[in-house]
Amino acid sequence: MNNFVKAGLVCIGILSAQIKAKEENLSIEEIIKKSYQACYYPGDDGQRKARMLIVDKGGNKQLRQFNIFRKDVEEAGDQNFLVVFEKPSDVKGTVFLVNKHLDSEDDRWLYLPGLDLEKRISASDKRTSFVGSNYFYEDISGRNYKLDNYELISEDNDYYRVKATPKSLDGVEFSHFELTIEKNTFMPRVISYYKGEKLYRKAEILELKNVDGYATVFKSKITDFETGSSTLVQFRKPDYDVGLDDSLFSARSLRNPPKGLK
Amino acid sequence: MKNQLFQFSVTRPKALFWGLLFVSLLAAALISNIKIDTDPENMLPADQVERVYHNQIKERFQLHDAIVVGMVSDTGKAIYRAEPLSEVVKLTEAISRIDGVIIPDLYSLASVDNISQEEGAIRFEWMMKQAPKDEATAKIIEANVERLPLFQNTLVSADQKAAAIYVPIKDKNESYRIASEIEKEITGLDSKLDYHITGLPVAEDTFGFEMFVQMGISAPLAAVMIFVLMWVFFRNFKFIAAPMVVAMATVIIIMGAMIGMGFTVHIMSSMIPIFLMPIAVVDSIHIMSEFADDYKKGNDKTDVMRRVVDKLYKPMLFTSLTSTVGFASLMLTPIPPVQVFGAFVAIGILLAFILTITFIPAYIQTLKAESLQSLVKVETQKSLLHRWLPSLGKLSLANAKVIILLFMVIIGFAAWGISKIQINDNPVRWFKSDHKVRIADKTLNEHFAGTYDAYLVLESDTEKLELEFKQIETELKGFGIELENLDKNSLGSKFNDLIVKIEDKLFEEEDENLEQILNKVEKLKSDLSIFLKPGVLKEIQKLQKGLMDSGLIGKTSSLVEAVKTVNRELASGKEEDYKIPATSNGVAQALLQYQSSHRPHDLWHLVTSDYSSSVIWLQMNSGDNQDMTNIVELTETYLKLNPLPKGIKAKWAGKTYLNKVWQDEMVAGMIMSLFSAFVVVFLMMVILFRNLWLGALAMLPLSITIITIYGVIGWFGKDYDMPIAVLSALTLGLSIDFAIHFVQRARDIYKQENNLEKTMALMFKEPATAISRNAIVIALGFTPLLVAPLMPYVTVGFFLAMIMAVSALVTLLLLPIGLKLLKRWSFN
Repeated sequence: MNNFVKAGLVCIGILSAQIKAKEENLSIEEIIKKSYQACYYPGDDGQRKARMLIVDKGGNKQLRQFNIFRKDVEEAGDQNFLVVFEKPSDVKGTVFLVNKHLDSEDDRWLYLPGLDLEKRISASDKRTSFVGSNYFYEDISGRNYKLDNYELISEDNDYYRVKATPKSLDGVEFSHFELTIEKNTFMPRVISYYKGEKLYRKAEILELKNVDGYATVFKSKITDFETGSSTLVQFRKPDYDVGLDDSLFSARSLRNPPKGLK
Repeated sequence: MKNQLFQFSVTRPKALFWGLLFVSLLAAALISNIKIDTDPENMLPADQVERVYHNQIKERFQLHDAIVVGMVSDTGKAIYRAEPLSEVVKLTEAISRIDGVIIPDLYSLASVDNISQEEGAIRFEWMMKQAPKDEATAKIIEANVERLPLFQNTLVSADQKAAAIYVPIKDKNESYRIASEIEKEITGLDSKLDYHITGLPVAEDTFGFEMFVQMGISAPLAAVMIFVLMWVFFRNFKFIAAPMVVAMATVIIIMGAMIGMGFTVHIMSSMIPIFLMPIAVVDSIHIMSEFADDYKKGNDKTDVMRRVVDKLYKPMLFTSLTSTVGFASLMLTPIPPVQVFGAFVAIGILLAFILTITFIPAYIQTLKAESLQSLVKVETQKSLLHRWLPSLGKLSLANAKVIILLFMVIIGFAAWGISKIQINDNPVRWFKSDHKVRIADKTLNEHFAGTYDAYLVLESDTEKLELEFKQIETELKGFGIELENLDKNSLGSKFNDLIVKIEDKLFEEEDENLEQILNKVEKLKSDLSIFLKPGVLKEIQKLQKGLMDSGLIGKTSSLVEAVKTVNRELASGKEEDYKIPATSNGVAQALLQYQSSHRPHDLWHLVTSDYSSSVIWLQMNSGDNQDMTNIVELTETYLKLNPLPKGIKAKWAGKTYLNKVWQDEMVAGMIMSLFSAFVVVFLMMVILFRNLWLGALAMLPLSITIITIYGVIGWFGKDYDMPIAVLSALTLGLSIDFAIHFVQRARDIYKQENNLEKTMALMFKEPATAISRNAIVIALGFTPLLVAPLMPYVTVGFFLAMIMAVSALVTLLLLPIGLKLLKRWSFN
């Protein structure tokens, strides 16, 4: 699990952003860092309910519903996540715990109540599916921005358009991706992934609202044009600076996860 | 009508020529719209129950037609070495760049995930994203694959000598192009491995290509052959030209009409020209010969022609009608390509008849005096045949008892042979055994579990749940919750929609009643997920074992292997944990982990996302219908002794199964069509001869021919396949011609001679010669088919020659005896 790590760009809004006035004449590095900050580090902690609808090519839907808790260990640094499944009922009580480290590999644990099993998870890369959805683990914890080279393609009054090219093609299936970053929130409204010239995957923020001064995603979607499937995520009851206890993010929570939000 | 047609032909020959030319050109123009269809699925009507189900299953489990690329180590060394594995990686990458490939489902060692244990953690990683650098890395890949039953003997052969890449494609009509591009990539690898490309789509597309070529080669070759034969017999170009024009026009107009009407050209219909040409030629030869015999210098050509047409009209009409009935009877077979074939050959025969009695008189009308003179010189009778045929006649009558006995013995042996007939077909066998598709098929099926697929679909009875869904849906209207029209979605998906809507409502405002309904919907949804139940999975596991014990199947894969594999890696990683979890929730959670790989969608090829339907994938190394039939029967027996849990049904899908279905329908349909054509032709004979006994006698040659031919097929162990099945109609249509001519002419001659011996002696001069000559023209006319690279063509060519030989021989040997025995009834 070498890199569940560090910073990231692909923001699906599990975290959110502090809304600021527009700033002019930023360097590309500054834009990317601000966007990363806006996406993944609003407040000291946060929680919310998430509902995923995975829609296959034929229009059939699968449902995943879970609560997410986050606490920053340090601003723009290490973070902890706890994901507790509520639906479908046969996976209720399944828990993921992630201790995200910037300078070392993340620690990931899993608890499966149906098997009464605690297990550590390891993965060779972060682009595996998150519970069968079109979201990758990397979409959730963030792709390390140091892995890519950036180039500002264009900019208008409202958006920056940035092209990101991976420094190494190992462990990624795309050749490059493009971000459309909203100037006043620094949220990446659209991220398009390409294989050569071919757009094959797209992540979009469909609904963004201001909560406690932070730009907060309420609805987002990832579409995979190769499989014809997509995943829609809706968020509810977002809350920041809740005062979550550190013990929530320990192994003890695996078997005794919080019922509902705090 | 006959007289009007004749009058028109002789008074306005030019108008007839131009008209014929115009219609032929129009038809030829329509031929350019040709659409080749090689999909064996189309052997069944589009709305046929099993076919509709098969397509539903393809959609339900997102199954695609796939090209199979196999690479075999020729040195006898294992494939788990750095070099061959690097080729797998390179080729997989190259294939994923080819347009039209369904990339997410590309199935290769270089595109699948490895699930394993790493220091007590469950680990997901690409099996072989990069080429192994050394032999040690290759050994690690071997060890990983050996732990994953879903890949064993599918991606790497059980003997470890071969690897395979399964290339799913969007449009099977593109498989020839995609296969060619893959071939190009393989050439670029400069490999030491033996590469093979197979899979049904490749076989079909290649077949279509070769069929197209054959239509351009075999039909013209048959035309040339007939031309040459006629030249040998008649040695007069003007004489031969007339039958050739009739044959050409018939073929062009019929093919143009068929293609113009929007019918696709299938393997059967591609043979229409080859069938029509000899049949069309025969009647014209009759008229031309008769005219050449009767015409003397100074005669009025119109008068002579009128007499000839009068004399031949009835037998020609009847032979045409009986052939038409023979082919039209194929329309009773529930196989659309066979129906189209039968219908258009039948129409073609009638068209050839009409052209014969109109075009030939018009043609004669336009010939100059010296041309007519040259026609008269044509020796229609002097030939080798003419010399030895009379002795055949004598032989027949002199040894009546021996001959009858001989035929009884032949029929007996033939009947025995028929009892040995194996009903079997396999589209890959339509290629000759040295064709690269056949070689690939053979090689890969020797190494792997099998390139032929069938699916045993298991589905739960959801009737009760559907009913409950409807009730809740109505109940929810009271809360202002309504679903959009989602009829095409699965029940599980609809339950999910309800859950989403109810929750949205609850989010706006809490409501205890609504909360209860939500709980109920969730309960119903888990009731629907029957294939998460450990008990059900255990039954599937037992069924798979039962199937494998038969020895007929290379491999079965199902949800069970996926569940057990993930369970093992979640637990200790040891063999003892390769088992089904104890609870439904345990199964569901193991599968949630399966979905945390790079290829979560692989799961939905084995089970639906609401877990209400599941599939056992069978890989077989034979695509023979017979083997599939055995598997279906075996499964039925197994399920009778070991019934599935209550409410679960098992049904078949998959191409190999569909082939079996149409084969069954064809056999039943052919028996029906043969029987009805036999009855109709018999009635026609009774009407023609106005005599029950003669009618029966006329049926004798074709009956004996059919019995003999199928007897030979049985004895030789040639499978009864589609082309063979169609032959019965052909025999019926062609053999009866000989009998009609023989009986009709014998009666005519007897009327003049009033003496049986003399009649028979005369019969073995001109009439027997005509019959033999026609038999030879048709039989040899089809011989170009023998060198075709496609087996159905070869089969038809070979057996047509045999049919002609047997039925001519039976006619000439047996009918004289029959007529003698029935003398009292036949000639009065």
